[in-house]
Amino acid sequence: MTKDQELTPEKVVKYFIDEFKPKIKDIKIKERAAGSKKNKTPSIWMKIDNSAFKGAVKHLCDLQFPHLAIISGNDLGKTIELIYHFTLNYGNRLGEINLNISVELPKSKPKIETICDYIPGALITEREKQEFLGVKIIGIPDDRRLFLPDDIPKGIYPWRRDETGPEKLYKNLHEVKK
Amino acid sequence: MKQTATTKTSYHIPVGPIHPALKEPVFFEFEIEGERIVDVDVKLGHVHRGIEWASRKRNPIQILYLAERICGICSFCHPAAFTLAVETAADIQAPERAEYLRVIQGEIERITSHVLWAGVAAHEIGFDTVLFLTWQMREKLMDLTEYLCGNRVTKGIMTIGGIRRDITEDMIPKITDTLNYLKDNFEKLRKIFLDDKTIRMRSQGVGILTKENALKLCAVGPTTRASGVKKDVRVDTSYFAYGDLDIDFITPDVLTNEVNGDVYDRIIQRLLEVKQSIGLIEQCLDTMPSGDIVVEPKIPKLLNQLKKVNGEGVGRHEAPRGEVIHYVKFDGENESPYTWKVRAPTYNNILPWIPMLKGEQIADIPIIAASTDPCMSCTNRVAIADGSKKYEMQKEELHRLSIEKTRRLMK
Amino acid sequence: MKFSMLPQVFAQMFKKPFTNKFPAKYTPPSTTKFLEAVGAGKAKLIPPIETPEGFRGKIQFDKDKCIGCNLCIKVCPSGAIESKPEEKKIKIYLARCTFCSQCNDVCPVNCLSMSNEFLLADADKYSKDLIVE
Ligand code: SF4
Ligand code: SF4
Repeated sequence: MTKDQELTPEKVVKYFIDEFKPKIKDIKIKERAAGSKKNKTPSIWMKIDNSAFKGAVKHLCDLQFPHLAIISGNDLGKTIELIYHFTLNYGNRLGEINLNISVELPKSKPKIETICDYIPGALITEREKQEFLGVKIIGIPDDRRLFLPDDIPKGIYPWRRDETGPEKLYKNLHEVKK
Repeated sequence: MKQTATTKTSYHIPVGPIHPALKEPVFFEFEIEGERIVDVDVKLGHVHRGIEWASRKRNPIQILYLAERICGICSFCHPAAFTLAVETAADIQAPERAEYLRVIQGEIERITSHVLWAGVAAHEIGFDTVLFLTWQMREKLMDLTEYLCGNRVTKGIMTIGGIRRDITEDMIPKITDTLNYLKDNFEKLRKIFLDDKTIRMRSQGVGILTKENALKLCAVGPTTRASGVKKDVRVDTSYFAYGDLDIDFITPDVLTNEVNGDVYDRIIQRLLEVKQSIGLIEQCLDTMPSGDIVVEPKIPKLLNQLKKVNGEGVGRHEAPRGEVIHYVKFDGENESPYTWKVRAPTYNNILPWIPMLKGEQIADIPIIAASTDPCMSCTNRVAIADGSKKYEMQKEELHRLSIEKTRRLMK
Repeated sequence: MKFSMLPQVFAQMFKKPFTNKFPAKYTPPSTTKFLEAVGAGKAKLIPPIETPEGFRGKIQFDKDKCIGCNLCIKVCPSGAIESKPEEKKIKIYLARCTFCSQCNDVCPVNCLSMSNEFLLADADKYSKDLIVE
């Protein structure tokens, strides 16, 4: 868990490309300036094949122990995209690097390995993805429901946009007496 | 985390879950042996309101007010993080003056929240006179918020591409007055919290979160900084005007030269942050450039621009309780975002509760749970289940236990 | 220091209480009856603390100016505004309004404004006081 003053987004990108070149589908650095001095905050967006995902997280932990902010997810129709929002190099003034690693899982078999063995703090957000997007997290240490009440039927995933979405469960939400 | 079978010597105590007025009711199940807590399980989501789903029918301007209602105390932070995410996705740059005004609003919110927390923490250990002192201070801040934003709680101040209200020259005296008042009272508060024996007895060495655990469990905000992890979005990255300001990490060793990660450190941490925030507001007032406060005052035009955006963005802001992060994705066809994911700081501070609470006493539950500054709903109602018999323990009961412990220690 | 709050508590005993005792020094058994008594001049109301300038309270609507462009409906986060197409005017249900003042900002002819009236509690959410048109 050492901090590296010299870690730059370019180095991080190179670090991943050296190891996973064929598996990386897309990698780019975006920068955003703010304030009067226009100091920049870099973000790396990386799309990786899900077979290499767990290896990439391990590789990342070898570089520096990251902070996992959250996993967000999109239902893209045929696939489900998970985006792991990491931050690196915090603890240095203006030195932080955002790293967003995304994987696309086929809807027929939405499965991904857990990263709780490297980052125990991922448990809550992984459990959330299981119940909200219907992604199966392989090897999750605790797979009970966390957020959803027990009376929501199995097979309904509130963030899906297809027939397994929550549409069946609500009615008359906006009824107004005239 | 695993549910362990009840043995002869241990009991399970469910704590929670509901207090509808609060933002995140939590359900705890404690396994106890005598007075000691051996294991903790947490269940969340009792007020999962499907806010992200509700956003699917709204345009970004409407979502600002939806985001504001995620939490009453962080009614600036959530719209702020959402705005940052939208601005990143759409590549909109707010005017410089607006960036400074946003910092001022954010810091006022932080002070309000920390002062409120200090009172609640004192209340949890039975020190109610301090509660009234802090809430008196907070009232001044609420008045200031009302003066600057138009309402006390829901500020309605953020907008995409800027901020909705300017701070004009004639408004500054009222702000400096409040800041001076705060500084005077802050000294009092500091003395009470740092020198009072009662508070030290109840908080030193209690609810320890080690630095290693804080890192591993991805804790955020004052909770992680009190364990010595330097992590503060305001310092780490450049957003709003924070990149221009003179700001450094605060950890409790600034004052005490050591980091223990206990409840006491979390108290020091928040008090130091109040001081830092006062300084930041003063810096902003001194160095604020003049100019516009929004890039696109015509809202229909802005909405049209956002409708065409096809992309995604992440917005991160340091809320009083830690980093809040919003993820927004637009598909370029619909007005409403394709995905909106909200992560409030308490979400990451749930798991750290487990190492904090293990090995402590039941009477310490209120102050430890309060020390991460979550909603207090969890301590509202406790039921002790003992096989066939069932006793109910109200919040008052738990509170009474806590006060009794304070009295015992004072003897 | 064992009793660090004591000086503070003593000082407070000689100060005016911080709380404004609105609407009366002691809570009346029935607020409605109390207000009636105030109306009849039999009781005295302790006024609420004044709101600052720019307070966002009950909406005021200048009906003649409205051009029926419906922009306010588009931005209203809570769906509080309804269009009246036959008149080309609008109708605001205050029971749903969140007092964000976004409709004021968007209105091209400035016919909406926020007043400082905030005592809007009512038993019926469709009462006349809570509908602006
Ligand atoms: S103030 Fe806000 S909630 Fe109320 S009617 Fe106007 S836009 Fe709607
Ligand atoms: S925006 Fe103004 S002019 Fe247009 S309908 Fe609403 S109130 Fe009338």
